[in-house]
This record gives sequence, C-alpha cells and structure tokens, in this order.
Amino acid sequence: MQLPLLASTFLTVFVAELGDKTQLTIVTISGTSSNTLAVFLGSAGALVLASLLGALAGGSLSSLIPPAALQLAASLGFLVIGSRLLIRVRQEAS
Amino acid sequence: MSATSDPSSGPAAGSAPTPASVPEAGAPEASNAQLSGPEASGAALPASFLSILFTTFTTVFLAELGDKTQLAALLLSAQSGRPGVVFVGAALALICSSLVGVLLGRWLATVLPPQRLELFAGVLMVALGLWLGIQAAVQLLQTPTAAVLQAPGAAVWQTSVAATLLPGSSVPGLILSLG
Repeated sequence: MQLPLLASTFLTVFVAELGDKTQLTIVTISGTSSNTLAVFLGSAGALVLASLLGALAGGSLSSLIPPAALQLAASLGFLVIGSRLLIRVRQEAS
Repeated sequence: MSATSDPSSGPAAGSAPTPASVPEAGAPEASNAQLSGPEASGAALPASFLSILFTTFTTVFLAELGDKTQLAALLLSAQSGRPGVVFVGAALALICSSLVGVLLGRWLATVLPPQRLELFAGVLMVALGLWLGIQAAVQLLQTPTAAVLQAPGAAVWQTSVAATLLPGSSVPGLILSLG
C-alpha cells in the first residue's frame, strides 16, 4: 500500500466533495425522507460505484459517454425530485 | 432516529404497501393511496426502504458520473499507475462525505420545521436541475463529440494536475486546480 497516494486521494476527493452539488443532494434527501439508513447506503453505494467506474475506465469513459449527456440526465432527476417536494409542500399547505 | 424508526418500518413495509394487497382493499382506498403516494405523509407512513435506497442511488450516481470528483479519480489513477490505491482512497472519502451529508440533513430536519425544509429543498433541487440542465445543453450544443478532452480549459487543468502530482502528489495544488 502506498500511504501518501492513499492519503492524497482521500483528502483531495473529500475536500472536493464538501459543499458539492452531490452533497447538497444528499443533505436534501436525508433531511426530507424518513429512512436515514437507506439514504446513507444509497448515496455511499452510488458514490463508490461511480468512483470505481472512474478508476477502472481511465480515460475511456469520457470518450464513450460525453459528460454533458450524463449531466443532462442528472438534471432531469433533480427536477423530478424537486418538483415532487414542491408539490408535496403545496398539498400539505392546502 | 433511525434506530426507533427501523423496527416499526420493517413490518409496516412488509404488509401495507405491497401491490397485491391494494386491489383487496377496495377502490376508494386504492385511489386515495395513489393520489397521496407512500411518501406524502412521511412520519405516519414511512416510504419503503428500497424505494428511498433506489431514488438516492440513482440521483447521486447520475450526479456524480461526469463530475469533477470522478475526473480527479480518473486522472490520479492514470498518473500514478496504482488504480487500486486511488480507488480505496476515493471510496473512503466519498463514504465519509456522504455520511457528513446525511448527518447534516438529519440535523437540519431537527432544527427546521419539516414543511419549510421541504420547500427549501424543493427550490434548491429545481434550481440545481435547471442550472445543470442548461449547462449541459449548452455544452452539448457547442461541442458535439469528445467535449472534455478537446476543450482548452480541460487541457490546462490536466497539465496543472499532472504538474502537481508528479513532484510528490501535493494535495493543495490539486485542490486549487480542481476549484
């Protein structure tokens, strides 16, 4: 094991991730849903799988799938979850 | 919080919201359940573990793919030649950061009234979705193929990351170039 490389990867990814949109998403889902464990398992699993793909693929993934297309899909997911929350707020208010 | 809700949600999720039991319950109840949905009243009728797991997984996975963290892991593995070590470090960091996010969300839920938190979260998610979507659409329209690798900004970013990694993998330099 190369400890310096491990530590630098950990610190880099951890600091880059703080306050990121991904973490904002996790805060949002966790604060508004009832099952904390499910949110943690889902988000941690997704992040680990995404970074596994990144580490395995090297440079080939971004040439296969343009990141903008993935971002577009992610933005649709955000819109669905956000509008569902807003609809729920509206239903509770009325 | 989760320790108290888990035992109660286990049997409830097993008996109540299965699709097979909905037709037996009669038409008015079924339409009622469809209108309000399982998530509509979070405290009284908790949404099933699997649906929350699936929603969280899909959203976070899609949001993370093509993000800068993944690009960082990708570059680190390409530069160092040790993808296993890079993966373990990145995975640990991501698990820790998602734990921080989950705990922050739970804390917010205890501080703010739930309706205000839901309103705030909904506005935030819609804004994020619009911003990301517009950004991605503009990028797709401008550069149809191999957008990242050919972009001049990405080239500068890659060389700066490589320059900071080669002397001895200095973390602050890499963080600066990520920001």
